[in-house]
Amino acid sequence: MSVIGERVPRSDGRAKASGDAEYGVDHAEPGMIWGALVRSPVSSGRITRLDTAPALAMPGVHAVVTAADAPDTRAGWVLRDQRLFAADRVLYEGQPVAAVAADTLELAREAAAAVVLEIEPLPAVVDLDAALRPDAPLVHPDWESYVPALGPDADYPRHGNLAAESVSDPPGVDDAFARAHRVVTDEFVVQRQYQAYIEPKSAVGTYRDGRYTVHTAHQFPYNVRDRVSQFLDVRPSAVRIVGHTIGGGFGAKLDAALEPYAALLSKAARGRAVKLVNTRTEDLLTCPSREGAITRVRSALDEDGTIIARELEVIADNGAYSGEMPWLASIALHCARGVYQAGPTRVTARLVYTNTAPTGAFRGVNGTYLYHAVERHMDHIAAELGVDRREYRLRHLFDDGEELLNGQVLTDAGILREGFDAIEAAAPWAKLEAERRPYRGVGIAAAWWLTNPMPGTAVVKLHEDGTAAVITAATDNGSGAVSMGVTQIVAERLGIPPSDVFVTLPDTDVAGFDAGSQGSRTTRIVGKASQIAADEVITKLKDVAAGLLEAAADDLEVADGTVRVKGAPGTSVPIAVVAATATNTVGPIQGTGSFVTPFPDFNPGCATGLMLPSFPTPTYHVHLAEVEVDPVTGTVQVLRYLVAQEVGAVISPDGTYGQVMGGVTQGIGYALHESLRIGEDGRYRERTLESYRLPLAGDVPRVEFFPLEHPDPDGPHGAKGVGEGPILLPAAVIANAVGDAIGRPLNNIPITPEEVLAALQTAELRNVEEHMR
Amino acid sequence: MELSTADSVDAALDELSRRGERCRVLAGGTDVMIQLARREITPEHLLHVERLGELRAVETEGSTRLGALVTHRDLAVGRLGPGYAAVAESAATVGGLQTQVVGTIGGNVCNASPAADTLPALLVHDAEVTLRSVRGSRTVPLAEFVVGRRVTTRAPDELLTTITLGRPIPRTGDVYLKVGRRSAMEVAIVGLAARLTFDGTGVVTDARIAVASVGPRPLRSVGAETALVGGTGDAESVHAAAKALLQDVDPIDDVRGTADYRRRVIPGLLGRAVRVCAERAEG
Amino acid sequence: MDVTLTVNGRREQVEVGPAETLLGMLRERLRLTGTKEGCNEGECGACTVLVDGLPVDSCIYSAAATSGRSVETVEGLADDDLGRDLQAAFVAAGGVQCGFCTPGFLTTLVAVLRENPEPSEPELREALAGNICRCTGYSQILDAVAATISGRNRR
Ligand SMILES: Cc1cc2nc3c(=O)[nH]c(=O)nc-3n(C[C@H](O)[C@H](O)[C@H](O)COP(=O)(O)OP(=O)(O)OC[C@H]3O[C@@H](n4cnc5c(N)ncnc54)[C@H](O)[C@@H]3O)c2cc1C
Ligand code: FES
Ligand code: FES
Repeated sequence: MSVIGERVPRSDGRAKASGDAEYGVDHAEPGMIWGALVRSPVSSGRITRLDTAPALAMPGVHAVVTAADAPDTRAGWVLRDQRLFAADRVLYEGQPVAAVAADTLELAREAAAAVVLEIEPLPAVVDLDAALRPDAPLVHPDWESYVPALGPDADYPRHGNLAAESVSDPPGVDDAFARAHRVVTDEFVVQRQYQAYIEPKSAVGTYRDGRYTVHTAHQFPYNVRDRVSQFLDVRPSAVRIVGHTIGGGFGAKLDAALEPYAALLSKAARGRAVKLVNTRTEDLLTCPSREGAITRVRSALDEDGTIIARELEVIADNGAYSGEMPWLASIALHCARGVYQAGPTRVTARLVYTNTAPTGAFRGVNGTYLYHAVERHMDHIAAELGVDRREYRLRHLFDDGEELLNGQVLTDAGILREGFDAIEAAAPWAKLEAERRPYRGVGIAAAWWLTNPMPGTAVVKLHEDGTAAVITAATDNGSGAVSMGVTQIVAERLGIPPSDVFVTLPDTDVAGFDAGSQGSRTTRIVGKASQIAADEVITKLKDVAAGLLEAAADDLEVADGTVRVKGAPGTSVPIAVVAATATNTVGPIQGTGSFVTPFPDFNPGCATGLMLPSFPTPTYHVHLAEVEVDPVTGTVQVLRYLVAQEVGAVISPDGTYGQVMGGVTQGIGYALHESLRIGEDGRYRERTLESYRLPLAGDVPRVEFFPLEHPDPDGPHGAKGVGEGPILLPAAVIANAVGDAIGRPLNNIPITPEEVLAALQTAELRNVEEHMR
Repeated sequence: MELSTADSVDAALDELSRRGERCRVLAGGTDVMIQLARREITPEHLLHVERLGELRAVETEGSTRLGALVTHRDLAVGRLGPGYAAVAESAATVGGLQTQVVGTIGGNVCNASPAADTLPALLVHDAEVTLRSVRGSRTVPLAEFVVGRRVTTRAPDELLTTITLGRPIPRTGDVYLKVGRRSAMEVAIVGLAARLTFDGTGVVTDARIAVASVGPRPLRSVGAETALVGGTGDAESVHAAAKALLQDVDPIDDVRGTADYRRRVIPGLLGRAVRVCAERAEG
Repeated sequence: MDVTLTVNGRREQVEVGPAETLLGMLRERLRLTGTKEGCNEGECGACTVLVDGLPVDSCIYSAAATSGRSVETVEGLADDDLGRDLQAAFVAAGGVQCGFCTPGFLTTLVAVLRENPEPSEPELREALAGNICRCTGYSQILDAVAATISGRNRR
């Protein structure tokens, strides 16, 4: 019986529900001591005094380290622009200035507080537009000397506070605007979003025998290895990263955080294991949150209202250091038209250094606000033209064979129309319009997205009892990509129950490179690599079984826990027997597989700074939301939420729905509840979960989900990425629905009760005035 | 720091009189434990009073008296009985279930947060608080007990033991409305309690309006109350009451909401409260 | 100071500090790490345990206050009929993703269902306001509760 598409319980479920699972923060080692960081209380300033003596003098304190104790080097995922500790200047609030190790956590925190740190404040660069003005103070006066992680040849357009830039300027844009019948212009401003996984970051580091080992719950262990090696100036193989069960990540645990500090502290504490744990406030203040951004869009329309050209400019907040961000800047090019034809389109994406915590990857990187902008803009255009919003979208919708701005051709974009149809069947637009009630509104929007193509590898090892182990550095961030997806795929191939497949936790000393849990890649890439590895196992099983069954290997098949003669299932031998025989004759059975998706063809000349050139394994998404606005308070409740999504093939129905429901919930939080404002001083205003406001069970409806399945011939069982898509559109559809409900556009994210109420009251006042006239 | 657990009210009062200001009462601890962790308070002694079963009693014969240790959960599930919807509703909005089963009404009163949810509800029910010390016992109106942002007139040796509410009145409706961005777990951006008594013809004969989170302490608006009496909860009287209420409040911008928003929300909220009271008075 | 209490049915005597939290006592002194810390401020519910049957945020609950009381943590749920059913249903219904919130949801739900064996979905959504799940969006957690209720009714 096939286990693909079946409801198979996740392999780590029992351990998680019983309290047995060891999360990163649960890890302890013999003789372990505790660390704490001294962090900058201001966002910009010059360190005038740093005295660690009072901390060192405290009994029970093992070590205090500062920039003076760390290698004089800079590190970074894309650009080496970051020091381990602030040396002379601090560039954001929360930036580490020193670290201490002591017998207990309380003592470590007391010692950190005893370090004398004096900072002379400097003006903070906060405003994105202002940061780009010629007279703006530079966040990195030495920017020119920084080198990309891949070497000087990998450099890209950047200058001063401009951390990265990607520009596409095809011919015909200005002409089209010159002859346009009408031009519609918009500006959208979005806040940051904190990933707010429930397990704050932690790390346990040891330095022994000349090597660093760090235990951490991480989405991308190999990336941590590389970052620790850069910061501590040792070769990568001198660092070992051991993964643990992760209490959520959503992109924020893709780059190193506490790991290099734990490693360095252990060295300073003569090899004692040192554990660092963020408080929730430290975690919030320093997390690489989703970037805030300003998006400006202009569309040129002809007499029929057809879009004949567009201009889109996005300015995104890089924070004080680059991390992964420059790599993502070119996503604007792929989303600038959304999924609608818009003629020649000029796209400018700018990433700007500011004196704020570095931003980073969050599920649906860049896409959330780009789609918000594009889809709000579509509603705006339709309103200006006085045409139906859905109809207007369908008129411009991509179809099979659509050629994109980068030259990539979408052969299967017709799936979008199926998505609109699936939503229409469940929630007919005309009916929604006909049943309109005061303070209720609907919104609809669509998107396309990639499945991250980066490489992965797996070893499948057969045990002598007939069970299999999958050795991989892939991580299950909770999505089930490993505990369900990879597990099911291997079980299916080997014909054994999923409960007989064990996937290791990542360990960079043991498993080969894996590009981490990002971009919805794990089920597809690691699933495929495991499938290839399992095929090697099958070949070896057949070879050995051929001797046992006195049959030709080609006549054998592996199924139902046995190797058997095709067409004569009675002639079989259990896998366990074959595995045990192999171990004692030809040697233990294992197989290896690796996989990477090639980037689709694109036109390299289409843009400058094109770091992420095209979107592999595209998926398609249509969302609809119905909301109700409370006219007294301005709060918004989402009443109904529908998702039609191309998934390739459903490997695990529970896993797939969980990704959709969870992603939409995070999107609803982004649109309505979560708040992460930056004050003029560069400091966050929200500093706890209380004021940050994560959505609760009472804040979200049950999502109605319509999977679209067009199997990808290269994916395992046809699978494409699932996890990211669901978060792309909630901000867009909810903003459109709120606009519909109150009859006025709101262009900022989050949509606050303040803004809604102010808009409503202004509208009422206008009505009253009109009435009186 | 030390901690001791009181096993009788008298023992608690002895302890308080001996230690005075250096001692912090620990009831459910939902405020105290956080304040300790943030080092906002650094008492020498914690006096754990939460085991004093006699302070958990609710009496509804004659006047309504509740012990200081009655929990939000007790109130939310209606231990006070009919006529105290505002109290039940306010307690039901204090944090989540975990906060409500532990947090006490006495703690909410003594913590005296500007955003304390139960305070407006208690105010509209003419609450009086009884404090005891080895020196004796005194009973004061709640409005005179909570005098500022986190300031009460409690003497260091006093223990809040009882809260007394006015009796339920026929043809009266009461309600507590709270404004927050999420469905729960919100520190009130505005909290508003109302209690209105109507005559047989729908005319308001008595009114109580109290608000939280729009000034340094929760307070009653006599101006709003006066404007409502004699009307029928009609738009005009609500408009006048809202105007009076806005004059009594002094909201600020804080991390949860702006002063402007708080002002904008009040008139509509008051109108809604009056409507609910009218419905409930009939029911 | 010493407190004597019952943890998951076992008598324990533990030395605690005056400001120590129940969470710290469980995780650091008793090494019961199934109970999780998500915020340390009563906002997320990951640390929920039962004290005399009531669901409390152990991160803001005084360790000393547990003296003489009975504490149940996620590690003890397998010994409880309802707890076991909920655990199984969470895994079967997709109510567990990263799982960091799971111990808190399970303990809260044990208390909720003991008091009211058949809550409606809106009642459940309200009762779970103090438990945040960042992964699932709650639907499959509610499915797990529904499955638990119907499974117990069938028995
Ligand atoms: C997550 C969370 C959410 C919350 N949400 C809300 C909310 O929405 N609305 C709201 O109003 N509050 C809220 N609170 C605050 C808190 O729960 C309440 O104020 C609660 O009522 C305090 O009661 P307690 O028994 O826990 O008090 P404690 O913390 O024990 O004490 C609070 C204060 O009162 C003093 N005290 C307590 N009892 C007495 C007494 N009998 N005599 C003299 N002094 C005494 C204490 O010394 C201390 O100063 C929240 C708290 C948390 C942790
Ligand atoms: S850790 Fe206790 S509520 Fe979050
Ligand atoms: S499963 Fe991850 S927070 Fe709930």
